[in-house]
Amino acid sequence: MLSQPQKIRVMFSKTGSLKFISHLDLNRTVKSAFLRSRLPIWYTQGFNPHPKTVFSLPLSVGTASLSEFMDFRVTEEITGEQICKRLNEVFPEGLRALEAYTPTTKFHDIGWADYEVRMEIADPSDMVDPVKQALSGEIVIDKTTKIGTRTIDIAPLTRVDDIFVENGELVLRLHLSATTDNYVNPKYIIDFLTSKLGIPGEKDDYTVCRTAVYQADGETIFR
Amino acid sequence: MKIPERILKKVEKPARYTGGEWGQTVKDKNAVDVRFAFCFPDTYEIGMSNLGVRILYHVLNSREDTWAERAYAPWVDMEEAMRAENIPLWAHESGDPLREFDILGFSIQYELCYTNVLNMLDLAGIPLLSSERDESHPIIMAGGPCTYNAEPIADYFDLCMIGEGEEVIDELVTLYKEHKKRGFVRTEYLHDAAKIEGVYVPSLYTPSYNEDGTLASVTPLYDDIPTKIKKRIIKDMDKSPFPNKLVMPFIETVQDKITLEVYRGCIRGCRFCQAGMVWRPVREKSVEVLTKQAEALADATGYDEMTLSSLSISDYTCIDHLTDELLKWTDERKISLSLPSLRVDSFTKELMDKISTVRTGSLTFAPEAGTQRLRDVINKNVEKDDLLRACRVAFEGGKSQVKLYFMQGLPTETNEDLDGIKDLAESVIHEYYQTPNRPKKAPGVTISAACFIPKPFTPFQWEPQCEMETLLEKQKYLDDKINDRKIKYNYHDAKVSRIEAVFARGDRKLNKALAKAHEMGLRFDGWDEHFHYEKWLEAFEAVGIDPSFYANREFGEEELLPWDNIDIGVTKEFFLRERHRAYAETTTKNCRLNCNGCGANQLGGERSCCPSLKK
Repeated sequence: MLSQPQKIRVMFSKTGSLKFISHLDLNRTVKSAFLRSRLPIWYTQGFNPHPKTVFSLPLSVGTASLSEFMDFRVTEEITGEQICKRLNEVFPEGLRALEAYTPTTKFHDIGWADYEVRMEIADPSDMVDPVKQALSGEIVIDKTTKIGTRTIDIAPLTRVDDIFVENGELVLRLHLSATTDNYVNPKYIIDFLTSKLGIPGEKDDYTVCRTAVYQADGETIFR
Repeated sequence: MKIPERILKKVEKPARYTGGEWGQTVKDKNAVDVRFAFCFPDTYEIGMSNLGVRILYHVLNSREDTWAERAYAPWVDMEEAMRAENIPLWAHESGDPLREFDILGFSIQYELCYTNVLNMLDLAGIPLLSSERDESHPIIMAGGPCTYNAEPIADYFDLCMIGEGEEVIDELVTLYKEHKKRGFVRTEYLHDAAKIEGVYVPSLYTPSYNEDGTLASVTPLYDDIPTKIKKRIIKDMDKSPFPNKLVMPFIETVQDKITLEVYRGCIRGCRFCQAGMVWRPVREKSVEVLTKQAEALADATGYDEMTLSSLSISDYTCIDHLTDELLKWTDERKISLSLPSLRVDSFTKELMDKISTVRTGSLTFAPEAGTQRLRDVINKNVEKDDLLRACRVAFEGGKSQVKLYFMQGLPTETNEDLDGIKDLAESVIHEYYQTPNRPKKAPGVTISAACFIPKPFTPFQWEPQCEMETLLEKQKYLDDKINDRKIKYNYHDAKVSRIEAVFARGDRKLNKALAKAHEMGLRFDGWDEHFHYEKWLEAFEAVGIDPSFYANREFGEEELLPWDNIDIGVTKEFFLRERHRAYAETTTKNCRLNCNGCGANQLGGERSCCPSLKK
C-alpha cells in the first residue's frame, strides 16, 4: 500500500471498432476494464466512488489513434509492464495499452499532432500534385465552436509532411496544431479538399489516424 | 466489419453497428457446422439488454460445432444508407450477411416490433414468407413471450420455440446438424422439429374459420405431430445454463448492468398479467448458485451495478439471505445492488437500506388500480395502507419522489376508480407531510397510467379493450381532476395500446395486415416518432380487417381462441374460474398460501412452491 496514491499515465492505441466510440463511451469502457483487471486503481472517496481517469486530446468519433494518453492513480506499487499486461488482458480488441509510467508532463504541454489520412479514390496518382498545390497556399475554412462560426486560415497551423500513393490509396501525412486554443481537426483539411478538389467524394471511403503527439516545439515527442 | 467507414462516420451512434465488444464470441466459421444469428427486432441498445438473448448466446456458443452471433434492427439513418448502397443486413461478430447463415433466431418481446422483423428480413434479402423460402435460405425461428400467440406472425416464421429456450434451442440445432449432414431438406427438417416438445411449426397447422370470423378449427398436417404444443420449462433452475461472461456494449444500453435472474414464475396471479401466468410454475435458484453466478459475472464484466431480476423480487423466499451474501463483497468491489419495482406489502426498511437504487432517483410502486374494489377485481392483493406504509419507509429513508403505476380501462372500471387514483396520489402527499423526519424538499408523485390490454393466457383474455374514445375520455377525466401541482399525471398513448391489443389477441388473418404495413414503410412502431396510427388503420382497411374484431370484442367463453393449441400448463378452466371470481370481486390467494389448482404443477420443477410437488 502506498502512503499516497501514485499517478500513472498509460499511452494507448484506439483502432478498429474502438474508432467509433465517443470520448464518453471510452471512459465507460475503461472503467469496466479497470474493474475486470483488478488493478489497484485509486477511487475517489465519497458517495459515488469512481476512478479519476483523465484523457488527453479528445479524438473525433471515427478517427483512430496510435498515441492516446490517460492518467489515473494506483494505491499499490506496481510496474508499468504489469499495468500494461493486465489492461491488455481485459481490453477489447482495438484498445491496447502501449506503455505505462509516471508522467513528467502535463496534457497542457501538448502542441502538435501527426495524422495519416488515407483516401480510397479513383486515380490517386493523378491527385498527388493537385492536393500538394491546394494545401500550399491559404487553407481557409469555417471553424464552428461554441461561440459561433469563424472563417480562418489554418495554413499557419498546418504542415504537410508527405503526400503519396500506397496500395492504391492516396496518403497524406499531416502535422497539425493541437493546442486547446488552436486545435486543427484533420476533418477541416479533408472538408477543404472535398470543396476544392472533390476528394474524398461522397462515395469515397477514407480513414484518419493520429500517429504521434508532440510538445509545443512540434519536435519533442509528448509522453 | 464491412460497412464503409464513411457511412459509420455519418450515422448516429456508429458503435451500434461495429461489433468488436469485449465478451463477444468469435470463432472460425469454417470450423463450425452451424452458423446461428440472434436477431433482435429493435435497436442495439434494447437488444443488448435482453437477458434471454444473453443466456441463449451463451448456450449455443458453448457448443463447439456452432457459432452464434448477433444482429439488431438498424436505426432509420443506417437503414437509409444500407438501402441506398445495397448493403445487406449483417451479423455483428463476423460482419457476414445474415442470408448466409443456417438459422436466424428472432427474439419477439412485444407486438410493436413485428414490423421490424419483416424489415430486418427484407434488409437481409430473405423472402418474408416462410412458404417462399427454400433450401438456400436460413431457417427463421422465433422465441420470446409473443410466441405464446404467434398466429399474427405465423406466416413469416418457420418455427417457434414455445416457453423457455435453453434446452429446446440446443435440440433444434442438433437436429439441424443431423439434417445438414444427410442433405438438408427444409420440409423434412420442419416436420422433425415439430415433433420436439415445445416446438410449433405454424405451416404444419391449418386454421379454418366460422362465418363470423372466429376460429373454427386448427388441423395438424401430419398424424405424428402434436395437436397441442406444450411449452418447455427448465425444471431445475440451479442446473440451468447461465452466462459466465457478457458482451460489454461500448455505448450505454437500457439495462447496462448485470442482471441476475433469481427465480422464474410468480406466486401472485394478477389477472391482467401474462408473464405471471406463462412463467409458471415458480422455480427458484438457490442462494449458493446465485452468489457464484453473481461473482463470476462481476469478474467477467467489470459492471458496477447488479440488478436482481424476477417478476416480483421480494417474493423470493431467501431474499434476505441472498442480499446479505452479495453485500459481503459487492460494496468492497464498488458494485451497487438494485432491485426492480417492489411490491408495497414487502417493502421494508431493511430491504431499502441494502439496495442502492434507493440512494438516487425515485421509488416506483405499482398499485395498478385506484380503489380496493378494482384491486380485488384484478387480484392485486395490495391495500392502501400497505402503499402508505411503504411510502413512509421511503420518506423516512430520505426520498421525496414516488412513482405510481396504474392501468386504465380495466374490466369493470368506473369513474369512481379513476377518482381513486387521484385520491391515492393525494394520500401519498399527505403521508409525506405526516412523516416527521421527512427530507427538506417538496414531495412529488408521478402517476404513470398504461391502457389495459387484454393478453392471451390471462383470466382477462376474453375481455374487450375499451373503445379508443372511452380510453381518451378516461385520460381526460383524470387529467381534469388532478390539479395539485405536486402530482404529475402521465399516460400511455391509447392509439399505440390499441394496435398492441389487435396483435396480442390476433389470429393468422393478421399476417397480411403486417405485410401491408411493412409495404407502407412502417417500422419502429414502439418509437413515438415512427408510430403512425392512421397508416395502421389504412393497412387494416386495405386488407379488409376490422381491428375492433380483435381489440374491442368480448371473446366468447366457448370460442376456440387462436392460441388454444398452445399448452402453457395453466388450464383454460383456471382462467375462466379466475375471470368469474374477478366479476364477483373475489380475490385469490397467492400460490404460497394456497394452491389454486391452475395446472402448472403438472410441469414439475425443483424449488417450486407447488404443494403437490413438495417432497
